[in-house]
Amino acid sequence: MLKGFRNFLLKELKELARDPKILLGIVIVPLILFPVLGGIMGYAAQSAKESAAKANFVVVNNDRGEWSYVFMKFLSDSGAKVFVEESVELSDEKLLELLSKYNVAQVLEIPRGFSSNVTMHAKDHNVTASVKFYVYVTTTNIFDTAKSLSIDVVVTQFNRALAPDILNVKKSTVVKGEVKRGVDPAMVSGLMISQSIALPIAIMILLVYSVQIAATSVAMEKEEKTLETLLTLPIDRLTILFGKLSGSVIIAAVGAVAYMIGYVYLMQSLISGTSTTFAATVDLASLGLAPSFLGYILLGISLFVTMLSALALAVILSAFAGDVRSAQSLVGYIYPIIFLPTFALMYIDINTLPYALRLLLYAIPFSHPIIASKAVVMGDYITPVLGILYVSFFTVALMYAASRLFATEKILTAKLRFKGSMKYGKTTEEF
Amino acid sequence: MSVAVEVSEVTKVFGNIRALDGLCLEVKPKEIFGLIGPNGAGKTTALRIISTLLLPTYGMVRVFGLDTVKNADAVRSIISYLPEEAGAYRYLSGWEYLEFMAKFYAKNNDELREMIREAAIISGLGERLKDKTSAYSKGMKRRLLVARALMSKPKLAILDEPTSGLDVIHSYHIREIIKKYVREHGVTVLLSSHNMLEVEHICDRVVLINKGRVVAEGTPQELKEKFEGENLEEVFAKVVKLA
Repeated sequence: MLKGFRNFLLKELKELARDPKILLGIVIVPLILFPVLGGIMGYAAQSAKESAAKANFVVVNNDRGEWSYVFMKFLSDSGAKVFVEESVELSDEKLLELLSKYNVAQVLEIPRGFSSNVTMHAKDHNVTASVKFYVYVTTTNIFDTAKSLSIDVVVTQFNRALAPDILNVKKSTVVKGEVKRGVDPAMVSGLMISQSIALPIAIMILLVYSVQIAATSVAMEKEEKTLETLLTLPIDRLTILFGKLSGSVIIAAVGAVAYMIGYVYLMQSLISGTSTTFAATVDLASLGLAPSFLGYILLGISLFVTMLSALALAVILSAFAGDVRSAQSLVGYIYPIIFLPTFALMYIDINTLPYALRLLLYAIPFSHPIIASKAVVMGDYITPVLGILYVSFFTVALMYAASRLFATEKILTAKLRFKGSMKYGKTTEEF
Repeated sequence: MSVAVEVSEVTKVFGNIRALDGLCLEVKPKEIFGLIGPNGAGKTTALRIISTLLLPTYGMVRVFGLDTVKNADAVRSIISYLPEEAGAYRYLSGWEYLEFMAKFYAKNNDELREMIREAAIISGLGERLKDKTSAYSKGMKRRLLVARALMSKPKLAILDEPTSGLDVIHSYHIREIIKKYVREHGVTVLLSSHNMLEVEHICDRVVLINKGRVVAEGTPQELKEKFEGENLEEVFAKVVKLA
């Protein structure tokens, strides 16, 4: 352990944790921002749900009884355009064929015995009828959740007209060309959003905040005129550097927890209506819808090394600033290379991009946690490992540069050099 | 050790400005040595080089025989530097600040407590030490920083304008403390000041620098006699005019 590290780290944590700007940005904002965002998106999802009910359906009527036509009438009356197929054995292949043939995202199957069950319900309330509902979930439409809920509107109307609980829906999902029977589309859609949109945004925000904290931490020493004293203390310069980085990582980690809490609120708003116990009973990883344990570990390592590289870069840049405001401006140059991969990879599969663009995104270290988050879901562990190796190499190079900066007088004089020779001629008092 | 600080032919160049130009001086152990000169003379640069913050472009500096470039870590363990424009961590209380600093020097908890107790006396801040330093006035902050610089009883205390921003009473108190530390704890003090009365009052020897070079050197009495001045202020004005 570096001598004095604990003492220095403690000081860093006290300073950062007591700074109201950091507290506001890293804890309060996400705890408010995400629930508000969730509320807005929930409202938007509600509107989408109403419009989804008016979308196109393929109804496979295997019952052909009196009540099946009544139910289809309910469906048509809700505004939906209905394509009807009769007496079709709905295998996975047939289902995919129908989705493609009619270019729709929702297939409703009225199974045999539907009408007789509805009739029998009048005598025995334990007998209920059911319909099977298949939703095609894409990776790009955040309102696929609404499609899942659209049928509920019709079923509710049907039950209200006939008898409570007479009809229920068995939902299944079609995702990535596979039929996942018994898996709720709302939950899958929520996961898709988390993987393709919310996670990259959360990573982006976390990186931006980490960069800001590290830059503030170094620049504050200059602004408050404490750096000179610090550099003459019997403490290794590397200890100062690692203390600053560790303090920033810890505070950013606290921020990450706040973000995750806010993020959970957001997800709950988006997948409202989905049974929470349902998710627990389905092994999402084995369905290829969520990362495995190894996948989570790789994702965590990828995020950690990327965060370290961002912090080291921020420390180097902020060494050229004389105060906190200048440091914030300087680290602003890092943001485009954090934002670019986030927004590019949110909707686009990196493998579909032209070679040069793909190379550019791979070269940016901040792309790798997002690439890793998508790869681990697909069971690809080579891509994240290679990414981790690349970012680690990049981080070591940056840390070396930062340690050189701290080991010499440049940490003190960098601003003078950065501003150019004009400054020398004017501020003779500094000598 | 007959020399505490040895500055040999030190030149420091920033871009096209020569802040120090072959500066030579020697500070003896257990003396209070004053470095005086007009604005831009190179005082702060000299103190920064001696305290290992800056590297000399040419020349060599030794503190108690240790080269400030080759043995920078060892030098830092025996010195204490108080910059002219120093601050304290705004989100720490005075106590926390002193404790943070003392931990780098104290070998055990007893030493740590003793250092903080001593610093509390030097600063004279009393109960206000519990307040965050952001609530301190300029003078209070300076007293805290002087206390920090002296509490570890360094072999060499480098004080750049130690009484800057202090009123008469507190300036007097700090000067007395500095003298006491030299007398009782054998601390060597190298200070710079624009206050000629202060320099005359506490310094054993003085060096006057201008444009990065030494232009006069001696005890305050010797300088007054040599330049026929009634006080050091007059001497200063004459020497700078001549230079």
